[in-house]
Amino acid sequence: MDAYTVGVFTNIGLLSFLGLSAYVLLITGELSFGQQAFFGVGAYAAGVGTAMFGLPLVVATAAAMASGALAALVVGLPTLRLRGLYFAMATLAAAEMFRILFELLHWQRDVGGERVGPDGTQGFRGIRWVFEQGIEAAGFLIVVYGVLALLVAALVFVERSRLGATLRAVGEDPEQAASLGIDILRLKLGVVAAAGAVAGLGGALYAHHTTYVEPRNFDIMLGVHGLAYALIGGLGTALGPLLGVVLDIGLLEGSRLFAGYRMIVFGGLVALLLVIRPRGILDERIVHGWRHRAWRPR
Amino acid sequence: MEAALTRTPIATVGIAALLIALAVAHPAHAQRAQAELACAGTITVHVYDCTVRLSRGGRPLEGARIVVGADMPSMPLAHVVRPVTATPGAIAGEYTFRLALEMSGRWAVKLRVEAPVRDQLIVHYDFSETAASPARR
Repeated sequence: MDAYTVGVFTNIGLLSFLGLSAYVLLITGELSFGQQAFFGVGAYAAGVGTAMFGLPLVVATAAAMASGALAALVVGLPTLRLRGLYFAMATLAAAEMFRILFELLHWQRDVGGERVGPDGTQGFRGIRWVFEQGIEAAGFLIVVYGVLALLVAALVFVERSRLGATLRAVGEDPEQAASLGIDILRLKLGVVAAAGAVAGLGGALYAHHTTYVEPRNFDIMLGVHGLAYALIGGLGTALGPLLGVVLDIGLLEGSRLFAGYRMIVFGGLVALLLVIRPRGILDERIVHGWRHRAWRPR
Repeated sequence: MEAALTRTPIATVGIAALLIALAVAHPAHAQRAQAELACAGTITVHVYDCTVRLSRGGRPLEGARIVVGADMPSMPLAHVVRPVTATPGAIAGEYTFRLALEMSGRWAVKLRVEAPVRDQLIVHYDFSETAASPARR
């Protein structure tokens, strides 16, 4: 596999975490334009862990997931009382607040003779743990897809459980779910925290892939893409967001069919799919059909 | 595929082993290289001829193998620039390469130095359709 192909696949893998983060919220009926904030929180937290304090990547990544979950809870507690578009707007505003906080964050310490740590708008350089371990691009690709496979497996497991059915019931009709005794706010707070942890996990891997992050990495553009991947890929299965990323990065970007006009094509594709398939390509009907065929006696 | 993901213990064990290996490793610090980048537009839109001067400890870094990539900070991971290998220039520590980007704007040029030392440097640069200048940050 050449360096370009490895790059394309790595980007697909990393963006999948953001798509999955948006997906987890979407199946419970919540539209978030702010998952990039928790991706950023994870990136900064993991960078602080490995670059500033010499923690192993796994420990720093766990801290990044916890930070992403905590930040998501901080946003979720006041905003989950809002519904629909109002919640979406609140998440967008909160994400911009986080981005500005990253711009204001100056915290550096001397490591090996150089200043390392977040430096406001100058970004956070020197997140070199993966590089210094001698892990090449192809090796890191395996790490990304290994973690992604575990995450997708966990999500598939949850979806097939009673909890998964409850989440979809809440997404379909929260009033009816509440009438059955489900504590909607508590459940959604858990989902918000889980989505934040997923985004934080992706951010941790992203920071170690690029070796630097900066506040403008985590603006609305990234959040819209994450949401779009989940929406076009489909809300029927956790594989949906992955399909969404593959369509954008793998097909449109990787093929270079539209060069600099790709974003316009992608925007058109999202608009078209939202009209003809509002729940995405791999929607619940398609996934239910697969399962029905797979389990039907021959 | 869902079934394969949930019913493959060997893959799970392999991934767990990889994660454990990553958990026990510790980073090492090495003397960093410095880079000065200069790019200029060509007659082709969004194609630029660049020169990078590499040094380490105040001395030109000669005989380096440099693979160059780029990412757009405002759209991270959305663009995959085909990596190019820089060739040695006219003077010691100088290397040249041609960079083909997708669009104008601020890019983070990634210089991955693979020999004689391993390093990765990020230089921000503003590219218009036919010209380029160092980013003011």
